[in-house]
Amino acid sequence: MRRLAARIAPLVSLGALALSPGLRAQPLTYRLDPTHSFVFFEIDHFGTSTIRGRFGPVTGEIEVDRAARRARAQVRIPTASVSLGFPAFDARAREGDLLDSAARAEAFFVAESIEFDANRVGEARGELTLRGTSRPLALRALRFNCYLNPLFRRQVCGGDFEAQLLRSDFGMTFGLPFVGDRVRLLIQVEAIKDDPPPAE
Amino acid sequence: MFKSALAVALAALAAAVQSQTYAIDPSHTAVIFEADHYATSTNRGRFAAKEGSVTIDRAGHKSSVEVIVDMASLITGVAALDRQLQGKNFFNVAEHPVGRFVASGFSFADDRVTEVSGALTLLGTTQPVTLRAMRFNCYRHPLLKREVCGGDFETTIRRSRWGITRGLDSGFQDEVRLLVQVEAIAQ
Repeated sequence: MRRLAARIAPLVSLGALALSPGLRAQPLTYRLDPTHSFVFFEIDHFGTSTIRGRFGPVTGEIEVDRAARRARAQVRIPTASVSLGFPAFDARAREGDLLDSAARAEAFFVAESIEFDANRVGEARGELTLRGTSRPLALRALRFNCYLNPLFRRQVCGGDFEAQLLRSDFGMTFGLPFVGDRVRLLIQVEAIKDDPPPAE
Repeated sequence: MFKSALAVALAALAAAVQSQTYAIDPSHTAVIFEADHYATSTNRGRFAAKEGSVTIDRAGHKSSVEVIVDMASLITGVAALDRQLQGKNFFNVAEHPVGRFVASGFSFADDRVTEVSGALTLLGTTQPVTLRAMRFNCYRHPLLKREVCGGDFETTIRRSRWGITRGLDSGFQDEVRLLVQVEAIAQ
């Protein structure tokens, strides 16, 4: 991952710098908790019922600049982790015309500028790269919260997010129209606050 | 949503048939549960249906369903959590390998199932549960060459009613939402 601190540093308030003149301003980093970070998805089956599946755990980092009320996120989604409840379905989903897991082991979601206010996140607009195709994707927060996790003894922030995409936009057309084009994503994410950066 | 004229015609045809029995298609039948995690995010997991049958009697009152759930199929994506949930403090799958939903209280609107009231047995305890249809439809499957009926159902249960109380005293919620995908093939 690129170092982002240099680009974010100018956004940090002068007040914070005045309080700690010896420190270079750095954003807070949160790392995704692998036990509570998954992408669930829903796809229509014959206009009748909903196929539900899961990717993950997903990994990644979220850098939060509280003063500027902005955050940035980088999330990696292992495509071979797809779980539909049946090994045969999973194997089919990994094939070249669908997730192409052999050639594209990971999908990526990158959001360069997520706005938040009073610790509430409304929407995370970013870009999803899947099968080598990048498209804008907006994640809408269904809920968001921060709490002190008693197990990790650290602050954890996270929530539930929702997004929609057309799989045909990413070149996945197998099974259309019996298996739907529209994919609803339901994302569970919790991220654990890193240790504070060392003083320089 | 995909919906062909054929599907509409077949739904009408199915309505004309008084009573029809269907076998659960385990590859399109599953129970997803949603449980709160620290008022922050939603934990989800899946149980697979093992087998079952449905009889739909639109004209009369002889509709019924029985679905057997394979409790050991529980999967969340976190192996350690799966083991914990399969263990004695939660579903105790070694002693209670199956869950069972049996119902005969069907409500219909325009020949579509809207609600199913019955009983859910987990851990040897049976409690009433009503599943609400989020959608319901019948179609002719092009490969099976048979009518398939199914839909999406939901309900919210309190796990303590089945004696699953672990974590209630440390902030974990009693309410668990169940999302049921079901499809069944005409016999």
